[in-house]
Amino acid sequence: MKLKEKTRLFLQGFIMINVLWYLLAIIVDTRVLPTPIEVYLNLNNLYDSRLHIHILISLYRVIYGVGISLLLGVSTGLLMAYSKTWNKVLNPLVYFTYPVPKTALLPVAMLLFGLGDTSKVIVIVLILVFQVIIAVRDAVLNIPADTYNPIRSLGASRLQIFRYITLPAILPAMLTNLRLSIGTALSILFFAEGYGTQFGIGYYILDAWTRIDYIGMYTGIVSISLFGFVLFVLIDILEETVCKWKAWNK
Amino acid sequence: MLEINNLSVSYISEKNTVNALGPISMEIESGDIIAIIGPSGCGKSTLLHVLSGIIKEYGGQAILNGAKLDPKLHDIGFIPQNFGLLPWRNVEKNCLLSLKIKHKTINSELRERIDYIMNKLDINSLKGRYPEELSGGQKQRAAIARAFIMNTDLLLMDEPFSALDALTREEAQELFIDVWNQYKPTTVFVTHSIEEAIYIGKKIVILSHCPGSIVEIIDNPLFNTEDLRQNEEYLRLSSHIRTIIKKGWKI
Repeated sequence: MKLKEKTRLFLQGFIMINVLWYLLAIIVDTRVLPTPIEVYLNLNNLYDSRLHIHILISLYRVIYGVGISLLLGVSTGLLMAYSKTWNKVLNPLVYFTYPVPKTALLPVAMLLFGLGDTSKVIVIVLILVFQVIIAVRDAVLNIPADTYNPIRSLGASRLQIFRYITLPAILPAMLTNLRLSIGTALSILFFAEGYGTQFGIGYYILDAWTRIDYIGMYTGIVSISLFGFVLFVLIDILEETVCKWKAWNK
Repeated sequence: MLEINNLSVSYISEKNTVNALGPISMEIESGDIIAIIGPSGCGKSTLLHVLSGIIKEYGGQAILNGAKLDPKLHDIGFIPQNFGLLPWRNVEKNCLLSLKIKHKTINSELRERIDYIMNKLDINSLKGRYPEELSGGQKQRAAIARAFIMNTDLLLMDEPFSALDALTREEAQELFIDVWNQYKPTTVFVTHSIEEAIYIGKKIVILSHCPGSIVEIIDNPLFNTEDLRQNEEYLRLSSHIRTIIKKGWKI
């Protein structure tokens, strides 16, 4: 997609959602739902309330959690794809734990690892790692066998086969997964930052809520949305750089 | 020279051993081009997979230039039916992949060869395109270029022209023979078209039904003949092959 088209898409979406929000605010007419204009005017005060620090701390937690999940998930996924034995050993575990709602483990993680960042990151990892494992394993197993033939006939080493076939073949699936993971991590964060911290965008929103500072609360919601959007755009750019060959790029 | 001695391939299906190919024996001189023709399922592709090092478990021997066939040792070019271009590499990078895998540095001599072949096959203007953006004929030319850029000890092709429409096929065959005559790599290709076998094969090997074994090897007098279809000998030879095939394939 061209940059121009993307900007247009963004602006369209932005205007649509704000118009809907504005109309809803007028119709409902309550302090609980201020109009977007009131919220945007408040954005000026954000620097004073040190919102940027909250965002940076949330960003740090997201990167940390997603990073560890990818590291663990990709390596385990590859292991399961390449080795039938490991797949047999690990598959029941992955299969069984996948549907367990891991957010419920937040109290356990907090009891074991304290109220700090560690428990928050661990919960993020617990939720993300299994979907990464499954996505990577299935992406590798879905590569058609004959894709490897020409390179095998060249006597390529295992490392070369991985570098020239497996890695590029699974990249699109991995980027899709990164996208989903970041979205999920942001939602988990909102929940996890409700406890044991005084920083993070999740905390900021919950704190404004309890102080009945509705304008502040909405400012936080708008910020976390923009924050998520920026991350999405970054992944778009990454995708277009490393997956130039994909038809949807043209 | 490629020597094939008692080569056979079998695989295990539901605890039964199924013989998929052979045993077959033949000798292929360096610089020969062999057409292998046989009914579907006779193990033609299996034979190519053995010769290209994709199937590693087989009975008998395959010896290329005095050493056991080994894709790490020999330079083997393989053009599968779907041309085998990697979708995530553009035409140029696809063409140069073999050199990369073999850790060959591109010196001026090799550069000249690359440019010459790419020019000859008319893919210079397609260098930056990805396989998805190419027509069947263009993909095929890229695949041929890739195979010829590496100075192959053995070139293998699995029905290389069958995915093309009739007109493109004829052009591609002509172009292929033209480039082949320049470098003359030892070549084995599989086809189910008698016409193609006569046009491109110096020798024509006819295989029987599964498990494929050699019915007859024909020295093709018409190899490298222009205006093949107007030649009387062509009709005689193709009906001869047709007869053998009918007999052989009934077995």
